[in-house]
Amino acid sequence: MTTQNIIEISGVEKRFGTFTAVRDLNLTLKEGEFFSLLGPSGCGKTTALRMIAGFQDHDAGTICIGGQDMAHIPANKRPTNMVFQSYAIFPHLNVGDNVAFGLRKLKLGKAETDARVAEALEMVELGGLQSRKATELSGGQRQRVALARALVMRPKVLLLDEPLSALDKNLREAMQFEMRRLQQKLGITFVMVTHDQYEAMTMSDRIGVMFKGQLKQVDKPEVLYARPCSQEVAAFIGGMNFLDAAVTREVNGKLHADVQGFGPLSIDVNPNVARRGPQLLAGIRPEQLEISAQKPDGYDGYLQGTVTNAAFYGENVHYHVTAGGLPQPIAVSVPNYFHTVDHKQGDPVWLGVQNASVIDLGAREA
Amino acid sequence: MTGFLRTEAGKGLALSAPASLYVGLLVAAPLGILVAYSFWTQTYVEIDKTLTWANYLEAATDPLVRHLMLRSILIAAAVTAVTVALAYPIAYFIAFRTHKKTLWLLLITIPFWSSYLLRVFSWKLILGFNGVMNSALISMGLITEPLTFLLYNEFAVVLTLAHAWAPFAILPIYVSLQKIDRSLLEAATDLGLTKLERFIRVTLPLTVPGIIAASLIIFIPTVGDYVTPSLVGGSQGKMVANLIQVQFGPANNWPLGATLSLVVMASVGFVAILFVILATALGRWIR
Repeated sequence: MTTQNIIEISGVEKRFGTFTAVRDLNLTLKEGEFFSLLGPSGCGKTTALRMIAGFQDHDAGTICIGGQDMAHIPANKRPTNMVFQSYAIFPHLNVGDNVAFGLRKLKLGKAETDARVAEALEMVELGGLQSRKATELSGGQRQRVALARALVMRPKVLLLDEPLSALDKNLREAMQFEMRRLQQKLGITFVMVTHDQYEAMTMSDRIGVMFKGQLKQVDKPEVLYARPCSQEVAAFIGGMNFLDAAVTREVNGKLHADVQGFGPLSIDVNPNVARRGPQLLAGIRPEQLEISAQKPDGYDGYLQGTVTNAAFYGENVHYHVTAGGLPQPIAVSVPNYFHTVDHKQGDPVWLGVQNASVIDLGAREA
Repeated sequence: MTGFLRTEAGKGLALSAPASLYVGLLVAAPLGILVAYSFWTQTYVEIDKTLTWANYLEAATDPLVRHLMLRSILIAAAVTAVTVALAYPIAYFIAFRTHKKTLWLLLITIPFWSSYLLRVFSWKLILGFNGVMNSALISMGLITEPLTFLLYNEFAVVLTLAHAWAPFAILPIYVSLQKIDRSLLEAATDLGLTKLERFIRVTLPLTVPGIIAASLIIFIPTVGDYVTPSLVGGSQGKMVANLIQVQFGPANNWPLGATLSLVVMASVGFVAILFVILATALGRWIR
């Protein structure tokens, strides 16, 4: 099966006065893909989304949707619909009229309009709530109405601006799965903007990570997590211990390096990394480390240290371990099996790491 | 006593006491006296205090009362419509099209810095037989004789009051426009609407409360306005308040004057409620 490119963005730039909000944005999205733009606030991700929607003009480059250049196509004529961060539910209309808002312009006739509204509400599990007032809706219901109102237009691309940030944690997690299910069922391309890494990872086919107006890396969630292209991407997604390493030699796609604290290790070359040099930055995820009172067997690198902090998080236990010569404590995360915190503050411990758990992050950034 | 003042209810009563006293003495009491007078009758020099419906009967049957009443309501309606229609674009401009909101709001209140009477007189000077308007038109050669339809009629009353009331209409409409979440407008655009459609289907319904507030603020005092019609209204611009003034002054018939005042109050209340119901229904009807 060949999938078409639905969005093609090349060389797009957006300036506000002297500030460049988005620079040299290049991105191709496939039909039926769930794509997330992830980044800290102010990184330009929302500006990028608004340029796709047509709420903001771009200063350079081209945006094509469904093969058509969007340069002179205003927002109300674009084959996209948006779920706003505030949901933007019309307060003077009931649920049914909110969902029917865009359809009325199409003049489909009452029967078809009503049928499509009912279908859309059914889809977001709000069936039969047409006459409910907008002001009587809960946060989760507002989000569903916003979703139904956009989907009822049958857009080629659905744009979502931080769609879950206004919901509490449990509802947010439930909606993550529901939106993913809906997207897979409908086969519509979803482009979501979020600052929440977990949200991006659980929902998306691919994630684009943005910093300071630039798209730094576009990859599947697993690849992004295992092979981040730089220190800033690695630091933004999941926890990460950063350690200096001196490369001794490179053989068959392996870097032999002396990693601070852990000694000589053999690290897989990360193809996503651009910066190279004799000084390497090595990354180790906290959950990839073994922590033990005695020296554990079968690891490639060891470190002896002292527990400086132990915190119980429920599903796992977090430790901070310091050792001589390390500028920062090493973070370790252990799954909670027996509801015990095995190591107390001040305990001497051993840390063990496998070669495969060490991530090559290229030369250290200045 | 001090114990009671510390309770929530006590504090509330204490805080509202000055206002309640003021309203009680200066609104409720005179109103009560007005009601009492309306059931009495005037003999030559004295008031006959036997209760009677005679005044109400007269108010209901006298064609002059009915005529002036209708004219007052029509003029007030025209003033309201003209003022709101002219104020809306200004309020829209301040709310959506400028960043100097405070400056603009200050500017629109400038007319208040001069006295109301002075402003009405200015219109007299502008619209009069030898006024600014006529001299300007004559000197430009557009007319040879001064226009006489400018002053001393309903038109002059509507024009003068529309100018005087402008800030009262601009402010509530501005507030209701300012309150509109900008993402609602973007959502409407996103759902395919043009700017005009968006205005009709989102902005206008959401500003209905502001329009109602502005309309009531203007309509209610205009029906009973006395100064403007007597200064610029001429004989065909006279309104019901002028008739009431005559009862309390030259005609020396306070009971009839009191009755007319109450009838005006009731009529204004009725029309205002009708208007609120209609405007709200219209706002709901737009989907």
